[in-house]
Amino acid sequence: MDPLAYAPEFVVLAAALLVFLADVLGVRRLEAFGGIATGASAVAFALVLADLGTPVLSGLSTLPAGVLDAPLGPGITSFTSLGLVFQAIFLLAAFFVSLASLSRPSAEAGSAVFFGLLLLATLGMLLVALSADLIFLLLAIELASISTYLMVGYSRKEARHLEAAMKFYIIGALSTALSFFGASLLFGAYGGTSFYGLGPAATPIGYPTLALVGYALLIAGLGFKVTAVPFHAWAVDVYDGAPTDVSAFLAGGTKKMGIFAFFLVFLAPLLILGHTPALGPRGFASALQLTLGIAAVLTMTVGNLLALLQKEMKRLLAYSSISQAGYMLIGVAVASGPAVAGATFQVLAHVFMKTGAFLVVAAVASLGVGPLIEDWRGLGPRRPYLSLSFALMLLSLAGVPLTIGFVSKFVLFSSAVQAKGPFVWLAVAGLLNSALSVFYYARILKTIYLDPPAPTDAPAAVPAPAAGIGWGRGAAILLITVGIVALGIYPGPVLSGIQAAASQFVFVGG
Amino acid sequence: MSAFSPAGLLALSGALLSIGLFGILTRRNFILLLISIEIAINAAVLNFVYFAAFAGATGGLTGQAIAVVVIGLAATEVAVGLAIVLALNRLRGSINVAEAATLKF
Repeated sequence: MDPLAYAPEFVVLAAALLVFLADVLGVRRLEAFGGIATGASAVAFALVLADLGTPVLSGLSTLPAGVLDAPLGPGITSFTSLGLVFQAIFLLAAFFVSLASLSRPSAEAGSAVFFGLLLLATLGMLLVALSADLIFLLLAIELASISTYLMVGYSRKEARHLEAAMKFYIIGALSTALSFFGASLLFGAYGGTSFYGLGPAATPIGYPTLALVGYALLIAGLGFKVTAVPFHAWAVDVYDGAPTDVSAFLAGGTKKMGIFAFFLVFLAPLLILGHTPALGPRGFASALQLTLGIAAVLTMTVGNLLALLQKEMKRLLAYSSISQAGYMLIGVAVASGPAVAGATFQVLAHVFMKTGAFLVVAAVASLGVGPLIEDWRGLGPRRPYLSLSFALMLLSLAGVPLTIGFVSKFVLFSSAVQAKGPFVWLAVAGLLNSALSVFYYARILKTIYLDPPAPTDAPAAVPAPAAGIGWGRGAAILLITVGIVALGIYPGPVLSGIQAAASQFVFVGG
Repeated sequence: MSAFSPAGLLALSGALLSIGLFGILTRRNFILLLISIEIAINAAVLNFVYFAAFAGATGGLTGQAIAVVVIGLAATEVAVGLAIVLALNRLRGSINVAEAATLKF
């Protein structure tokens, strides 16, 4: 394979090495590291869009002709349009987070570690999107995961961050062990680990139970990564304890690679095993589909119900992020082209909404506002632009029309209704849950806009007069807000691009 | 080479995985927790090596190569875990996981 085809990955890798090299050489400026990270993710984003055939950028494309969406072979990587769409989404998350992190305190220690690990995690996510082999996929996930364990604790000064890192690490190691054990069973059942060998060319050697247990363990292992219930409990603690910029990256970025891993690992058995009786009973595919559907409904319901009870802003957003993962899992369970497109658009929407929401929380915290929701009382009149952005993000998370969240939910739920097979219950559960989620989003909006501000005689409640949120954070929040509204009003080109990519995805229908 | 009968091996590797998972969930000393993680990951390594013997010429090499890679991965995991716990130990003077309970579930 032409090495130039991997240009976006090389850009990100080179930037990560450059950051670590500069750190070793004694550069101590956060702006330098942040500039490298922001620039590299922007360049890689442009390269990926060029590979996807975006008209303005097509001159930049480095992908050889005929490679994109080629029939699946026994190699370890493959270029699919859907994978490239996911790469673009990951790079968008990395771009927003590194842009916003330019506003961190300039003298802060460990900024090189933060930005270098951010780039390495992004590289891992990019490789996930290119995987055509189960072991390659799991190793790419590990690259991203190990980088994020360290990102959570990078400051090394606050016990709170380090505790979150330790919890994240323990749960991550558990999930690694389960995933690799599942992969080893699939290797035993099929004699190979490429998705080609697990799908179209599968030749089982007579132990269907091995495959069944292997897939069950992979659901558990990958379920930890996407925070599917009952593997969700860590997420709240980690998102709450991590530095807020890192939470934004975890919720908006690394969690999404789990969704793509679900596509890669489960769409092949669902569609191929399901339709070729020689490779296994049809009941096997239905059982997988039912399991994934139940996991989706449980995830959204538990996430929403627990979000209702939260008093702290970050914990509420973490639970809402869990419920959003439930909506995305609908796409995996339904496993049709339109459903995959809907889930992908939901992932894109979630990058805007959740990354944005955590970045606003970071900005508000830098203004001296406390972690509780009631600390945000009366923020609306005091910080009109910031509050308006946050309100738009919450409305989008709730699925209000004219925001990107409405479009993504509409596409996703209607695909579940249209799909052949009894999937209407998934759409109904999704709609009921959207209604449920309006309660807690509306409560936050009421707190921000209608409740009187906290009594100003408490000195801690008065923000330092000169404190701003910083231009980097401001720019990132502005871009995200514009994206939410623009894609909500006019989703056409992006949505049709994603739908075309999903229908060509080699694992769908094929 | 005898016939492919994975029952005995799967009992062994399944037991290793269970011991590892049990240790991860119950151990409060971080070093013992790391050892549990090693045991759980090595259950998968054992499977890869064993199944490699039955996977044909290319599949066999693949299985052995994967085993080596996973061993390397496990070493990386432990290094990262030690880095985190060293940093925590500097702040706290303890490597007991249960004491790190400021965050609530």
